[in-house]
Amino acid sequence: MTEVTFMKKLIYLLLLCWISNDLLAQQSFPVNGVHDERESSYAFTNATIFTQYNKKIENATLLIREGRVEAVGAGVTIPKEAITIDLKGKYIYPSFIDIYSNYGLPEPKKSERKWSDPPQFISKKKGAYNWNEAIHPEYNAFENFSANEEKAKVYREIGFGTVLSHQKDGIARGSGVLALVGGGKDHEIILKDKASAHYSFRKGNSGQNYPSSLMGSIALLKQTFYDADWYKAAKYTEEYNISLDSWNQLEELPQIMEVRDLLTILRADKLGDEFNVQYTIKANGHEYKRLEAIKATNATLIVPLKYPKAYDVEDPLNALNVSLADMKHWELAPSNAAKLAEAGVKFALTPADLKDMKDFNGNLQKAIKKGLSHEDALKALTQTPAQIVNSYDQVGSLEKGKVANFLITSDSLFTKDCKVYQNWIRGKKYELKKMETTDLAGAYQLKIGKYTNDLEIEGKPDKQKAAIRINDSTKVSVHHHVDEKAISLHFNTAKDSLLKTKLSDGFVRLSGWMDDDNKNWQGRGQLANGEWVEWTAKYKGEVKKDEKKEDKAKDEKKGKDKEKDSDKAKKDEKPGDITYPFIAYGWTEKPTAEAVLFQNATVWTNEEDGILTETDVLIENGKVKAIGEDLEVGAGTKKVDARGKHLTSGIIDEHSHIAISRGVNEGSQASSAEVSIADVVNSEDINIYRQLAGGVTSAQLLHGSANPIGGQSAIIKFRWGLTPEEMKFENADPFIKFALGENVKQSNWGDNNTVRFPQTRMGVEQVYIDHFTRALEYEKAKNNNKNGKPFRRDLELETLLQIINKERFITCHSYVQSEITMLMRVAEQFGFNINTFTHILEGYKIADKMQKHGVAGSTFSDWWAYKYEVIDAIPHNGTIMHEMGVVTSFNSDDAEMGRRLNQEAAKAVKYGGLSEEEAWKFVTLNPAKMLHLDDRVGSIKVGKDADMVLWSDNPLSIYAKAEQTYVDGICYFDLEQDAILRKQINEERNRLVQKMLKIKKGGGETQKPMPKRAKHYHCDTMGE
Amino acid sequence: MKKTILYILITFLFIGTNYAQDAYVPVPGAAPQGETILYGGTAHIGNGKVIENSLIILEDGKIKSINTATIPPKAGNVINIKGKHVYPGLIAANTTLGLSEIGAVRATRDYQEVGSINPNIRSIIAYNTDSKVTPTVRSNGVLIAQVVPQGGRVSGQSSIVNLDAWNYEDATYKADDAIYLSWPGITSYNWEKEAFEKNKNYNKALDGIRELFTQAMSYCDNDAPTNTNLKLAAMCGLFSNSKKLFVRADGAKEIIAAVNFLKEYDLDIVIVGGRDAWMVTDLLTENKVAVVLNKTHNLPRYADDDIDLPFRMPKMLQDAGVLYCISVGAGWDGFWDQRNLAFEAGTAAAYGLTAEEALASITSNAARILGIDKTLGTLEVGKDATLIVSEGDILDMRTSNIQMAFIQGRTMNTDNKQKQLYRKFMKKYELEASPKQ
Repeated sequence: MTEVTFMKKLIYLLLLCWISNDLLAQQSFPVNGVHDERESSYAFTNATIFTQYNKKIENATLLIREGRVEAVGAGVTIPKEAITIDLKGKYIYPSFIDIYSNYGLPEPKKSERKWSDPPQFISKKKGAYNWNEAIHPEYNAFENFSANEEKAKVYREIGFGTVLSHQKDGIARGSGVLALVGGGKDHEIILKDKASAHYSFRKGNSGQNYPSSLMGSIALLKQTFYDADWYKAAKYTEEYNISLDSWNQLEELPQIMEVRDLLTILRADKLGDEFNVQYTIKANGHEYKRLEAIKATNATLIVPLKYPKAYDVEDPLNALNVSLADMKHWELAPSNAAKLAEAGVKFALTPADLKDMKDFNGNLQKAIKKGLSHEDALKALTQTPAQIVNSYDQVGSLEKGKVANFLITSDSLFTKDCKVYQNWIRGKKYELKKMETTDLAGAYQLKIGKYTNDLEIEGKPDKQKAAIRINDSTKVSVHHHVDEKAISLHFNTAKDSLLKTKLSDGFVRLSGWMDDDNKNWQGRGQLANGEWVEWTAKYKGEVKKDEKKEDKAKDEKKGKDKEKDSDKAKKDEKPGDITYPFIAYGWTEKPTAEAVLFQNATVWTNEEDGILTETDVLIENGKVKAIGEDLEVGAGTKKVDARGKHLTSGIIDEHSHIAISRGVNEGSQASSAEVSIADVVNSEDINIYRQLAGGVTSAQLLHGSANPIGGQSAIIKFRWGLTPEEMKFENADPFIKFALGENVKQSNWGDNNTVRFPQTRMGVEQVYIDHFTRALEYEKAKNNNKNGKPFRRDLELETLLQIINKERFITCHSYVQSEITMLMRVAEQFGFNINTFTHILEGYKIADKMQKHGVAGSTFSDWWAYKYEVIDAIPHNGTIMHEMGVVTSFNSDDAEMGRRLNQEAAKAVKYGGLSEEEAWKFVTLNPAKMLHLDDRVGSIKVGKDADMVLWSDNPLSIYAKAEQTYVDGICYFDLEQDAILRKQINEERNRLVQKMLKIKKGGGETQKPMPKRAKHYHCDTMGE
Repeated sequence: MKKTILYILITFLFIGTNYAQDAYVPVPGAAPQGETILYGGTAHIGNGKVIENSLIILEDGKIKSINTATIPPKAGNVINIKGKHVYPGLIAANTTLGLSEIGAVRATRDYQEVGSINPNIRSIIAYNTDSKVTPTVRSNGVLIAQVVPQGGRVSGQSSIVNLDAWNYEDATYKADDAIYLSWPGITSYNWEKEAFEKNKNYNKALDGIRELFTQAMSYCDNDAPTNTNLKLAAMCGLFSNSKKLFVRADGAKEIIAAVNFLKEYDLDIVIVGGRDAWMVTDLLTENKVAVVLNKTHNLPRYADDDIDLPFRMPKMLQDAGVLYCISVGAGWDGFWDQRNLAFEAGTAAAYGLTAEEALASITSNAARILGIDKTLGTLEVGKDATLIVSEGDILDMRTSNIQMAFIQGRTMNTDNKQKQLYRKFMKKYELEASPKQ
């Protein structure tokens, strides 16, 4: 045998296999009765076929057999056994794919734990599963999948043929199954068993306390990555773990992450970057608000088409409950998809999140109206979702060998009048709307009894209109109905006097049948007066064109009017600007660093020079350039007359909980060193702007105080409008929050919370010693790990090790002197120092010990009496600590107080008589020192960051207002600009209110505006 | 001789560095003999007027005279306060002072009784004159407080106390001055859905209020009711206008509803909270309804709001002619934070009010609203000698330094536990304590 012959034979053999497989379609089921297998080969001819979202073939044929596409194109030979369906004038499209479904899956099991039950620390799931109930990658959707005809029908009606289904519960959710929403039984409709792996940041039905915050979810995912990596080598030898096993098996699949808010898209992508995973991200429809940052992730998105209803703003007081951001989102949400497409973001569209899936097509129409091209829409529903799950070889287009999933439509898809007649899935027809193929267009001679006139029928087959032509200018419309060969007509003679006299006054009703080619009709009918008559209609030819002239002219005029209307509408409809952040007081034009000369100010330098009067300060390129008298500057420098005003460096809040998303405490365990506020910075918090107005330029965003070892903090600059990552203080030393006392003992948490260790201050000490000891042992194991034994990277212990190695610094929530001393001693035992005690209300009692240890104190000015451990708090605390040589600051821990820290500083003058200059340092230079940032901020010194505030008065005075606040030389708050913004907010609100009122008046659906709860976190705020 | 000793003693107190003893609870002041003369201070009358270089004579617990000082007084118990400022004692409306000692410790909380309709509950009997918190509040100038029960639909009756007393009967300035009613919210928060929704119980709550007031009215009209009903009997003062009805309401809708609903009973109504009062000033002035505003040191409710909205609310009410006072409120910090009352007013002064208007909002206005303006709230002849002397402007923490206080002529000890702890530890560290404490 030559090689060629062999190859031929092989091909033949392979071909045979392929064909036989296809033809016989064997299955494993016994049959009760006589086998009824059909070849099911169809040829759809003369159609306009979109084989791909961007590939259109006119007058083409689609040939399918056994549920798959056999051929498609213009010159397809139709085998004689194929059933031919003529689709002249019709369109064929690949049917849609929903990539974010839970179709066919059972409801996830809810934990039996009630919120009032004691905390649950580990999983209650029996078997060798993960320690955390929210991590269940072992869940396979395909094992639990079963078709659901009721839901399938809805899917088919809105044009879908394929879904990727997974159980929407938990953080690691397991695999998704790619399946069809029709076309056979369960065994026939699964296209891919493990098509995808799914994740989210919500623990869902897990009854476990951990994680209780977004940062906890992120940390849990990170740790699981490391656990799974370790497990690759540790399987059996160290432990057997079904969940980690499954996690590793899912590694090769497309990774899909669900997020519920805009910024979490960025967080998800950042997490992926850390572990070399490019997530496909299920977004939430707000992406247009941060398009640039979203694009930079390079992630493919899965975008829901969920739009809010207009708000019922008829009552102006109730309308106040709707924020400008919500109003603007109402207006802009439908343009989200178009904006993503325009920006070149790859995305799939999904009906997920819709309360009623039937709203999908309407919402898609809205997206198209806002500029989403038909091509992009189709791509987002076919090719892109198919590619996300690497299944474009199966679905998403109509090409040889692919599953025969397609739609037959009356018009170009997505046009207004387009009807979807049939949705074919795996070669099986599902009729959605009867397809009218009978074409009756033409002029007929209509005879009713003795009366004769012309009947004209015009339009496309499924929307043809009939009328009796009285004369050039008059027609009487006739309702006609065709069912196979039967036809019925009726019309009202009252519309024409001649008709009325000939056929009596009222409705004439005719019923009859058509001949083979539908050209001759006949039958019986009844006139308005009840008289029975015979009737006929004979085809005469096409409707004469000149008869339409007048109508055409009319139409044209109408068209022009319409255009005018739409122009006007467009003008009215010019949507609002996108602001950064997308809430009130956001900017539309990014502010930039200017060269500014402040002239003749009272300058609080916080340096040796002290407070200088009548002094000029020049800032340039974000830095302090010069300080002096009568500084000379170039023409491009903005001059600010600061006479009578005070210029200071910006306020730094050592202890803040603003600008944090979904939870400030991961308090579910005694230690949560692995979590980080840096993962959940919320750049869209109005309190950033409010505090800029209070002269704050930087803050340490701290984890709460619910556990002895809290979480890592984030230090941000108040760069209003920028993204979370852009807000972070560059190259700042890393910090972590610890906490002591009543909060970590859960003293005030109610009777259910009496089981978590520790419950006393005695236990708190042991938590520290235990954890640091373990961290050292961990380090030892890590360094001695030379024998190839699998090593599990532990994020919690790594963090603690950083502390011991003086690479991370502790800010510790503290109240009473005993615990403060204890922690200093524990630190000393492990060879490091506590960096800062925060709150530190009894610091004054041991200020000497603190000074000796070298720890700073960041306290409240005058809070006390709210719990037992603050019973000895005194407002002179700051002054005493300062006088004892402790670096001292006042912090806020409170969104409200955060914007009045200048006033709080003044309390150090009031209570204990500190000098104004030193008091001012309590909120500027001293917190900068605590954060190791005093080389860059905290004073006005040449070369330092131009983070500064121009005050109307002595900054310690209650009468002082921040007139301008600069960060990096960029003016992020200006009192005059603020007045303009207020006006704009009001105008924009009003524009949108008027628009929504029109919607309501026009009968549109609205929703009641309800108040919203602003989330303000404190140390002890639990949950999200 | 006696007078000289007293003078020396007062001078020491006034200097503030030397204390006879560091007792955690300072001893209440005793009634002085004869006249006390304050000479040379700037007197802020509390009604908008200011007398520079004033001469104030106190006698028998009253202000005997107040004038511009023409010549220095030669004889008598003269206290030279040149360069300093005199103010009426500050009045804290709507507090839990003396009813709560440590917020988180249940045993020390005495402000909320079980049940929803508790008009018979009286705060005065639980008022703790020995609270360690009170001296820290009064040493910042707050000398009078309205102590208010919390919770439920009708929380109970408040009483007005002076903050320097041996026991509650001693402290009582006006017992049972008002009944506190919490107006139901038109919307309510659904914790499960984490969203506000229409309050399904709103109408039921209104019916409950109507039934209570109608039945109380009928009960109080009945000269000889068969059965004594403590709850209804407690409300009789409302209908004779000897007691006021303080209604907690923040939203504009709730304020509108409350004012209109309660009109028919012809009561003396005060709105407490009043977050949206500035939106309905016409309603308030037409119906002569006063407002006890909560904290100016507050965040705007919504992101869209003017960022300084809470700071400007007093000014808006002032301009609209609404009678209002500023309070710290009775929230989680409604006792210890009363010491910042003057600064709540100070912020209002920074945002529109004149300094004297801001002062009025915590003195004369408060006195009028609490119905004690005949004897308190201003430095006017015949009124109580309840006043404070500060080194500087009390509205500004930068300058506030209360050095002397009199309650009905009695010299109040401005010392407190916190100052004592300050001195104790300054001494331990061998540091010199500042006169500013």
